[in-house]
Amino acid sequence: MGQVLVFGLISGGIYGLFALGVVMVFRGTGVLSFAQGEIGTAALYVAAYLINDQGLPWVVGALGALVFGIGVGVLFELLVVRRMIGADPVSTAVATVGLLLLITTIEIQYAGSTLISVRGPISQHFAVFGVEVTGTQVLGVLLALALGFGLQSLLRRTDFGLGILAAAQDPTAVRLVGVPLSRVSATVWGAGAALSVIAALLVEPGIGVFAPGFASQLYLVGLAAAVIGGLTSLPGAVIGGLALGLVEAAANKWFGQSGVHGLRYVVVLIVLLVVLVGRQLLPELRARFDTRAEAVA
Amino acid sequence: MSTPLLQILDVTAGFGATTVLHGVSIDVPEGSIAGIFGLNGAGKSVTLKTVAGVVPARSGQVLLDGEDITRWGPEKRVARGMGHIPQGRQVFPELTVEENLRLGAYTLRRRDRSRYAASLDAVYDRFPVLRERRSQLAGTMSGGQQASLCVGRALINQPRLVLVDEPSAGLSPVAALELREVLRDVAATGVTMVLVEQNIAFGLSLVDTAHLMQTGTVVHSSPVGDLDDATLATHLGIGSVLGAATSRMLSSRATPEPPKKGKPRVRRTA
Ligand SMILES: Nc1ncnc2c1ncn2[C@@H]1O[C@H](COP(=O)(O)OP(=O)(O)O)[C@@H](O)[C@H]1O
Ligand SMILES: [Mg+2]
Repeated sequence: MGQVLVFGLISGGIYGLFALGVVMVFRGTGVLSFAQGEIGTAALYVAAYLINDQGLPWVVGALGALVFGIGVGVLFELLVVRRMIGADPVSTAVATVGLLLLITTIEIQYAGSTLISVRGPISQHFAVFGVEVTGTQVLGVLLALALGFGLQSLLRRTDFGLGILAAAQDPTAVRLVGVPLSRVSATVWGAGAALSVIAALLVEPGIGVFAPGFASQLYLVGLAAAVIGGLTSLPGAVIGGLALGLVEAAANKWFGQSGVHGLRYVVVLIVLLVVLVGRQLLPELRARFDTRAEAVA
Repeated sequence: MSTPLLQILDVTAGFGATTVLHGVSIDVPEGSIAGIFGLNGAGKSVTLKTVAGVVPARSGQVLLDGEDITRWGPEKRVARGMGHIPQGRQVFPELTVEENLRLGAYTLRRRDRSRYAASLDAVYDRFPVLRERRSQLAGTMSGGQQASLCVGRALINQPRLVLVDEPSAGLSPVAALELREVLRDVAATGVTMVLVEQNIAFGLSLVDTAHLMQTGTVVHSSPVGDLDDATLATHLGIGSVLGAATSRMLSSRATPEPPKKGKPRVRRTA
């Protein structure tokens, strides 16, 4: 039980970080981005180059990765997303799939299928509920919780942050009060990329190696977590991520021996379907219950 | 005569293959209220949106204080003194009343933050209900209160020119009358306005000049005093509204407030 809880929260925190990026971009621009996760992988190559090859401290490598990731996110916003303002968000979402393919192709060119690893910021071990965890893993969970529950109030403090929060509700109305929507857009794409880079940097040491496509696999779960959280809620994204992490850990414990490959995706899909279908059915069921109650009264 | 504060010069605009505005020209002198009237779909809102910069003008010019702003984005126009009271009272529902106002003052606060406190106070004095409900989420207020917030959010930025689209739509007759008084007060402080209204009686009781639109062109422009029933009937296909403007407004605008969201819950009684 303790094992399920610890493993679940650790991977759930990572899903939550990815999901926060999904929500930021969706809130700021109304677009569902599929590429952001892979920006995390690409940034890991940058970190690996700086830390492993150049022998620089972890912090420097991480900062380099962060700057690179934000750069890619902002550049994509400038070159593609901005030109598609007013286009249907589905087209922009498809453009993000294009970016995903592009990044993956470049990664394969650069690294092939060589497995690389980057160490984490804190390698000390702790025992939590009898399970060995690293400081890096704990940091991931704490960061996800802090951002999930703190980012909103942080954004509310500045006028521009308020503009970001309002842009999701009505982008045109935001422009009509004078908030520069293009800056909102660039900021959320940069933030979304940054969250992916942070998640990738914190999750990789626990897994040990990475290869092209690494972060996208986790990002897809984050996408599902964001949808479960309602797509616009920052706390909801983190709660969704933690929930998926816990369900996955439980499934692993009880069905792990079955040797089913890709169990993670089966679990995520089932939870997603239950939530989505439930959301559709619930109002109907409630209405039926209400009419029954009326008849009784 | 001095240059009008706003000049719309032979503007065309549209969406995709359709052209909606076929050469619209309207002059709005500083300190006046210009009314744009016309049937549903005539292009009134699109005209305001080209002035706002939300819909691009395909040809023609928009001048603000003589300066060509046709290619400016909406944000820059707001920073230069344009304010908006959009159709359908688009307050930010998930922000509080005070956050809505703070966002409304976005460009004022960037220019000179020290003026914000006084400006906020002035809005609260004009709408005491907003002061009372400053921490409430805007989406949970009544339609009339949201209308006040929408006006306050435009005024707090101290605009020179305010574009108002269908302010009376969906309001109770009393709330509509209150709103009219507010708009009158604001105009009396020298703010220039462009007002679009479906409710001709409401609109004519406010504006100085009337511009009648039909399928994307202005078919008649004149001071309100020079309008007669025949002109209105010809261009808008409506009967007599002049003279009885105010009383008709009360009786014909008995539109109920929009229903509250959410289903009424049935309580079980033992
Ligand atoms: N976003 C849009 N896309 C396509 N057509 C539009 C759009 N907005 C308005 N129109 C069309 O432009 C015409 C004028 O609309 P509008 O200015 O909103 O009318 P109104 O005079 O009632 O305010 C209508 O025929 C409408 O269908
Ligand atoms: Mg309209």
